[in-house]
Amino acid sequence: MTVQLKGRAEAITIQWIPKYTFMERLGHWLHTATFVPLAVTGMILYFPFLQPLAQGEAGLLIRLVHRIAAVIFGLLPILYFIIQPRRLLLNIREFLPNKDDLGWLKGAPAYYLLGRHEAMPPQGRFNAGEKMNGLVMIIAWFVFGLTGLPMWFGKGVIPPELYRWLVVFHDLAMIVSVCMFLVHLYLAVAHPLMWAGLVSMRFGVTSADYAAEHHAKWYYGPKRAMEIWEAKKREAAQH
Amino acid sequence: MNGKKSEIKMSRREFLGLSALGLGISLAGARPATAVRAASPDEVAILYDPVKCVGCKACQMACKRWNRLPNESTDPLRIYESPWGLSAITWNIIKLRRTEVGWHFFNYQCMHCADAACVEVCPTGALSHDPLGFVSLDRDKCNGCGYCTQFCPYGVPHLQVANLLTGEAKSAKCTLCQDRLWAGIGGPSCAEVCPVGALTWGKRGELLEKARARVTELQSRGMNARIYGENEAGGLHRLSILLDEPEQYGLPSVPKTPAFARAWQRVIQPLGNVAFGAALVGILGAFLFVRRKIRMEEVR
Repeated sequence: MTVQLKGRAEAITIQWIPKYTFMERLGHWLHTATFVPLAVTGMILYFPFLQPLAQGEAGLLIRLVHRIAAVIFGLLPILYFIIQPRRLLLNIREFLPNKDDLGWLKGAPAYYLLGRHEAMPPQGRFNAGEKMNGLVMIIAWFVFGLTGLPMWFGKGVIPPELYRWLVVFHDLAMIVSVCMFLVHLYLAVAHPLMWAGLVSMRFGVTSADYAAEHHAKWYYGPKRAMEIWEAKKREAAQH
Repeated sequence: MNGKKSEIKMSRREFLGLSALGLGISLAGARPATAVRAASPDEVAILYDPVKCVGCKACQMACKRWNRLPNESTDPLRIYESPWGLSAITWNIIKLRRTEVGWHFFNYQCMHCADAACVEVCPTGALSHDPLGFVSLDRDKCNGCGYCTQFCPYGVPHLQVANLLTGEAKSAKCTLCQDRLWAGIGGPSCAEVCPVGALTWGKRGELLEKARARVTELQSRGMNARIYGENEAGGLHRLSILLDEPEQYGLPSVPKTPAFARAWQRVIQPLGNVAFGAALVGILGAFLFVRRKIRMEEVR
């Protein structure tokens, strides 16, 4: 009996290139480490079936955890701004929408569900999906802070009419950001095409091949990326 | 790669399974969408008649004594209204009100709404509708979130704040002397002690009959009397006779917060659950689908 080898055996070498700075990664993981406990402790008050965990001493404890996590969560972007103000502004600018996002939106279903590479036009360091995630988290940070701080310190100070709207908007920010988080978690952990995402957020580097495929405009520069993509499309049309 | 079919295929079993999962997640957090609660005639209630009230504050004293509530520091500038309002340690208070008949006394305590906003928003179940009709408070269950203090249309529940920074607090309000009622000792101590019958307690239906007769009598004496609490917020278990518009007593003609609380708890939050369900089902569906369509061997 013989074993047939498919293809020829060769050593796989990955060329690693830097993608995220140390501060970007630290900020990302501290954000995660506070966002998750905040969401969990918040949901204990949100879901009626978790009511036993919200009662009495346990309830006091989850509200305390929520507050401790909230302080760190709130301070993170401020500390980032103090340490690296230009970097933060650059990150925010990278998250702003541009015309590449339309191409991503059009190509995303075929690309992410069917793996059709030619459907996805070249993207920058952050593609439209990553930008959406970033923008939702930035907006949610403001909404959580602007509603959460008065909910903490404003009882009896601000009018109850206002307070009632604050709890509703705190909930809405949670619903939107948790949904975004779930999708982000799936893509980062389980989607085959996104294999390098978690690696780069852990170690700061990404594969050059991965960067060429997912972030061509960042890897090659906008002009070269478009030329390569046009060539790829022509090739696909001939087949 | 180009040979792949572009249409998205899924077996019926998978589709049904995913749909059921989504529905399950959406419903898991939902509260039963019951109809708006209404008071029934057999429930326990208090009736307050300001024309009979002499402002002796025996009700205030009895409430403090039975519920073991400490004294509250008084304001030397206010001779009669002191303490100046309801608080975490003052659950019953007589205040002076100026209405179209002139200055008179008016007693404030929890209104014990049948459709109570505080119960609707309470995340712990510490506030609940007792089968006897009043709004019961279980302080052991309370975690001090304070939503009840912000949603009550009458500003009744107050937080006893132990630490503002950690959020350690407990809600406090009139319980209609729930411990007395449950133990069968008697009725609410304020009504039991009232020497002139301004505060009386009994079955809500009977008290309403009494209130109607009293209103007719007061009207025949030329007063603009009316009942407050018959239908407000599903019907109150603290019925009052008013001699002017409710606003003159600081009471809303139509309490709006029960509807707001319901919209939040029974519309916005269930829609949030649908969003969570859709997100999880979408992810699971994508996971099952993508692992068949995209081979890791072909990924760069």
